[in-house]
Amino acid sequence: MSQIMINGVQFEAKEGETILELCKRNNVEIPHLCYHPDLEAQARCRICVVSVNGKLVTSCNTKVIDGMNIITENDEIIKARKLNMELLLANHDAKLEDNELGKVAKKLGVDKSRFDKIQDKTVDDSSAGIHHDNNKCILCGRCVQKCQTIQSVFAIGFENRGHYTEVNPYFNHGLGDVSCVLCGQCTNVCPSQALMEKDYTKEVTDAINDSDKVVIVQTAPSIRGTLGETQGMEPGSLVTGKMVAALRKLGFDKVLDTNFTADLTIVEEGNELIQRVKNKGVLPQITSCSPGWVKFIEHFYPELLPNLSSCKSPQQMFGTLLKTYYAKKNNIDPSKIVSVSIMPCIAKKYEMNRPEMKDSGFKDVDYSLTTRELGRMIKDAGIDFANLEDDKFDPIMGESTGAAAIFGATGGVMEAALRTAVDILEGKDLQEIEYTGVRGLKGIKEATVKVAGIDVSVAVAHGLGNARALMEMVKKYPSKYHFIEIMACPGGCVGGGGQPAPTNSEVVKKRSEALYAEDKGLTYRKSHKNPEIIQLYEEFLKEYGSHKAHELLHTKYTAMNELGD
Amino acid sequence: MQVTKKTEFKGFEKAVNLKPEEVIQVVKKSGLKGRGGANFSTGLKWEFTRKSPNPTKVVICNADEGEPGTFKDKLILTENPSIVIEGIAIAAYAIGAKFAYIYLRAEYEYLKENLEKAIEEYKAELDKIELNIDIVMGAGAYICGDETAIMNSIQELRGEPHAKPPYPVESGLCNYPTTINNVATLANVPLIMLDEWDDLRLYSLSGNLDSPGVYEMPLGITTKELIEKGTPKEEIKALFFGCAGGCLPYDPEMKLDVESVNEKGAMLGSCTVIAIGKSQSIPKICKNIAEFFVHESCGKCTPCREGNFRVLEIINKIVENKADEDDLNALEDLAIFINKTSLCGLGQASNTHIKTALKYFREEFTK
Repeated sequence: MSQIMINGVQFEAKEGETILELCKRNNVEIPHLCYHPDLEAQARCRICVVSVNGKLVTSCNTKVIDGMNIITENDEIIKARKLNMELLLANHDAKLEDNELGKVAKKLGVDKSRFDKIQDKTVDDSSAGIHHDNNKCILCGRCVQKCQTIQSVFAIGFENRGHYTEVNPYFNHGLGDVSCVLCGQCTNVCPSQALMEKDYTKEVTDAINDSDKVVIVQTAPSIRGTLGETQGMEPGSLVTGKMVAALRKLGFDKVLDTNFTADLTIVEEGNELIQRVKNKGVLPQITSCSPGWVKFIEHFYPELLPNLSSCKSPQQMFGTLLKTYYAKKNNIDPSKIVSVSIMPCIAKKYEMNRPEMKDSGFKDVDYSLTTRELGRMIKDAGIDFANLEDDKFDPIMGESTGAAAIFGATGGVMEAALRTAVDILEGKDLQEIEYTGVRGLKGIKEATVKVAGIDVSVAVAHGLGNARALMEMVKKYPSKYHFIEIMACPGGCVGGGGQPAPTNSEVVKKRSEALYAEDKGLTYRKSHKNPEIIQLYEEFLKEYGSHKAHELLHTKYTAMNELGD
Repeated sequence: MQVTKKTEFKGFEKAVNLKPEEVIQVVKKSGLKGRGGANFSTGLKWEFTRKSPNPTKVVICNADEGEPGTFKDKLILTENPSIVIEGIAIAAYAIGAKFAYIYLRAEYEYLKENLEKAIEEYKAELDKIELNIDIVMGAGAYICGDETAIMNSIQELRGEPHAKPPYPVESGLCNYPTTINNVATLANVPLIMLDEWDDLRLYSLSGNLDSPGVYEMPLGITTKELIEKGTPKEEIKALFFGCAGGCLPYDPEMKLDVESVNEKGAMLGSCTVIAIGKSQSIPKICKNIAEFFVHESCGKCTPCREGNFRVLEIINKIVENKADEDDLNALEDLAIFINKTSLCGLGQASNTHIKTALKYFREEFTK
């Protein structure tokens, strides 16, 4: 414990704490910009300066020392912060109120820069899901840290020097031509909208307004635990009913649930695992529902592609069934269906455009929107979200279980799969179904579960840096695990690249808790008990892993090098 | 000149007959201070590195002499490379390092062979302490002369500095405790061991002079004593201490020592002195320097990256007689806060020239 003086008041600091951390803990406000709680402080922006013994230092990376005398605001400090903000704004071209940069600028009382605007940087539109405009970039470096340190992808880095510095992919390529996996973690931390999802809200609105089209929307498991934040609600607010109501108000013809195909994924993937074990197939089986992860393994571990489950992701299973099974059952001409998904994810925009995703005879999914895009649509439509009456999903592909609800959190797919696999293999309806060993935010989680007398060894990783570490383990010890769940984003889908800002580990934790609460409150908590799933197999697919199921619900993968060839 | 004396590893032999701690004491007692510009006690730096808990230590010889107007290291590396190798060996013995790197300025590539020959010549001596010396070519950036950026560059990372602490003596190259010494610092060490050393500086003198060059003289001489050596071509009105050290009006009686120069707002640094004749325009020189910093800023932190770019914009206006009072105020704000809020030594010194020029030659900026 050290004694620190801040603005003339004595505080007790913890060992190794930075000035900013100490001040945050004690509600002493310091404006800051490039700092992010999940990343190592880089001290690039120089907004968070404070005065220590008369010298200006950045509070984000300066550790407290016993007896330090800190001033967090005086004329000199204010002038320094404002000038640095003016320097940043002079190169920035975006609506300020929309982003973190704008909020900090407002706090500092800076609304314009005395310097002439310069807009001479690279704009990159080559990616299927990410729009990258260096003219909005303030070089805080968070995206590079996320991409390199947390995700171990190294798709982007700093290029050139001085004023001419830009964040770009390597070798003068666009994001669409490199090993970027579209996890979108960069967009998630960008304070100035330089990196953001490609916006398709206009296209979706146009489709809704086209009376010839039947616009049907599916919502991913995690959206109900995060959408509220885009409407000013607290992280962890569960808004399933309001979300459905808002989608109806926006004019979608049917509001259905990706959770339905999350259940279907579990049934198909569980069956695949059982078949692999029985037939001495390639193990460990690795989940394939995270498209960022799928692209990652295609680029970096192509030798492990045989381990990847052949199951499509819930979004794509849904898309295929929508234009086949659902269309037939409801007498809708599938060519008139516009299939829209609401996803926590940017890689989903890439996944839906993969050439193989046309098993319905049409493009299975036409538009994939992020939570943020839906949030903007709701705001633009003037919907008073917080006061909406709860509504319910439409029937057929709208029913789901607690197993699907937890898909959105790391470990959720594993837990859901175990609930089904254990029941099927033991021929029972087990009541103890909470596998807490695979829950939580530890980077790599391992557990052993006894199933029908066999010790089944499983592992869960979230965030691609952890995924990489786990794949190295798999290569070193090929027979260590039977089943592995990987999610590209830290925390799983609740920490997805398309989720509302701010996304950090504290917020992610609250969002996960909302999903586990949803699970507890549902009638059915095992995927194979979902009555609509049972009906789907009886009427259409016949049995788990049937020929038809393979035709519609399974897919293939392609090995790629770092330039995507 | 003492640094061109051939010591032939005799200083090293004396050193290895002492305990490493004793060598450190000798260097500490000598009062040797870093010649790279920071003037930090060399013996103390070695002691910190030696005492740092990680047993693997590293020595880096900073031969990335990039400060405009500075050419003292070039002279040593050209005329007496073996004294530098000997200095490195003594440093390595003192701190307990088996790995040493010479980070050689890209433009000095033609000197690499000299150094390689010297290493080869004294290989048997180096083997006695199992020391391996590698020469790493600089990538051509001024920032890589900064001790934290130099390590990034050797590790083949982007040449960007990082904030201190941690200091290299605790966590340096690949996180090993590292001593980074300037070429001229290390060249003094063998002489200290041999007790043949005077505390002299190498002044890199250039400008409006007939005889620019390196002059070996002590700190505390008057500017007149130095400038006369260079034989001025015209009446001298100002001295620039490299690009980073700022400028002062020429006062023949002013003493050239760290304190006297500092107290007037400039920095003596590595003893670079550029004499400016009365026919020269101070704003134009500032423009040159501003261009240099715009080019050499690594781009990591806001004030240095964007601030220097704006400084140049304003200076261009001044030189073209298009500036107004607002521009001058902005320039002054920028100069103060770029220096105060930049991350590393480059940014923190990048506007000393503007600050001092505005202080002493303001009328040239407003006419």
